[in-house]
Amino acid sequence: MSRSTEKSYGLVVSHYLLSAVFFLAMAVMLLFSVRDLQGHYFHPKLLAITHMAALGWGTLIIFGAAYQLIPVVFETELSTYRLPWVSLILFISGLPLLVFSFWNFNPGSLMQTGGVLLLLSVILFCITVFRTAKDNPKKAGIQQKFIITSCVWLILTVLLGVLLVFNFRHPFLSKDHLHFLRLHAHMGIGGWFLLLIIGVSSRLIPMFIVSRVQNTKPLSRSYYLINLSLVLFVIDTYFFGINHKTCLIFLIMLAGIILFFIYVVSCFRSRIKKQIELPLSNTILSFVLMASAVALLPLIIHRHLKGDPSSVHFTTLYGSLLFMGWISALVLGQAFKTFPFIVWTRKYEQLAGKQKTPLPADLYKKNLLKCQTAAFILFCISFFTGFAVKSETLLFAGSGFLIITAAVYIINLIIVFFHRSQTITT
Amino acid sequence: MNSFNITDSSTFTRMNVMETLRTIPDPELNVNIIDLGLVYNVEVKEPEKEIIITMTLSSKHCPMGEAILQSVKNGVKHNFEDFSVEVNLTWEPQWGYDNITEEGLKQLRGQ
Repeated sequence: MSRSTEKSYGLVVSHYLLSAVFFLAMAVMLLFSVRDLQGHYFHPKLLAITHMAALGWGTLIIFGAAYQLIPVVFETELSTYRLPWVSLILFISGLPLLVFSFWNFNPGSLMQTGGVLLLLSVILFCITVFRTAKDNPKKAGIQQKFIITSCVWLILTVLLGVLLVFNFRHPFLSKDHLHFLRLHAHMGIGGWFLLLIIGVSSRLIPMFIVSRVQNTKPLSRSYYLINLSLVLFVIDTYFFGINHKTCLIFLIMLAGIILFFIYVVSCFRSRIKKQIELPLSNTILSFVLMASAVALLPLIIHRHLKGDPSSVHFTTLYGSLLFMGWISALVLGQAFKTFPFIVWTRKYEQLAGKQKTPLPADLYKKNLLKCQTAAFILFCISFFTGFAVKSETLLFAGSGFLIITAAVYIINLIIVFFHRSQTITT
Repeated sequence: MNSFNITDSSTFTRMNVMETLRTIPDPELNVNIIDLGLVYNVEVKEPEKEIIITMTLSSKHCPMGEAILQSVKNGVKHNFEDFSVEVNLTWEPQWGYDNITEEGLKQLRGQ
């Protein structure tokens, strides 16, 4: 096994497996909070679930995938393997403290310690990314710009989050928590997740489906529009809250997202590989869920400006569509395009060529992935419909399907992890 | 890539090496590296018992890169035990989709 793969193996695998455990924990937490979903999103249990989803599930697996994929995107080896390990230890020490404190709403030293540990973890991750980018001998491509900028937004998001945590006990911020929560959430969703996902997927999708056309012009425009809208949103909302200008800012963000979709469609249209595998179908589903969440934004802004309390209900639906829908669907699919590769490399690099070996895609169970996808689609249908029509029964059913999804996902990851080398006889 | 020269005694070995390389797939695309157009040159030095393969990868720092290069070395060494094998990685010319053969395109299209 090559030196870099040897070094990154334990690191990447640990991130994938731990994030899967946090995903299951989040699904169980959701089941115990169904009744609270009908209330305000600034509810201790919903804050705990959101942070478990955004950090334990989404961010942790993104960190792991980044250590595997950043060398591909930046075309250089990871600058350090020690900092990511320290970052991981800080992360898994901080997250349970933060989530536990939110769940019981105890904004004391445990929550503060959790927040600070997570901030340090994030800073170490970003240092690793920045140092690796600096080592790239070539001029930074648009994908690299997306990833670097997403790291800056991540630091700002977590920093604001930590300030909010300290503000619970020692109030020093000039405005109320809900005001800052909007900024915190959108810096995280648009700045961290959206920019990073665009950066990585715009490189990987054409590779996976073998696209002839990779016109990066829409991507560059998308980059500037999304960042412009985020900066405008942060400044405008900080001073004036949600107002009519927010609609204009939303349109700028929407234009950025549409340009990214135009790029993805052009890749699909010019693809040589015709068959769309199940992991990639999950990615398409994730984009549909993201588009559904974005489509809710004008409604939320309109109702908020009218002073209609239903805006709170739709805001929770918006958040659920993004964290449980968009990010989950993306990870649930892409994990099986990335995780089997690192395991395959470890098991078969020395055997390949001498004998016929399985392919990375043969390491996971296709039927389990089909089960997982079916359970996740059932979750989406029952949970989001249950949310829209305020049906507890459907919400409970949805939570059950999410637990099944998480359990099947973990089983499949474990099957890949414990795969024993074998050769195929022809 | 390589022309068949019946007067050159190493041609037959070279063709056999090519056939060996045709059994080595890209693990992601499951298309062999010859039809993907990753192999630029195969040189066989009969007297020195040396095989030199010049090839590229679809992208720099491809996560499968090391595995593909190792497969090439393993596969050729396994079939040509008397020869030493050298695999040279080059980025010139840069690989592009136009390198894929008709057969490779057929396999990718699932035909």
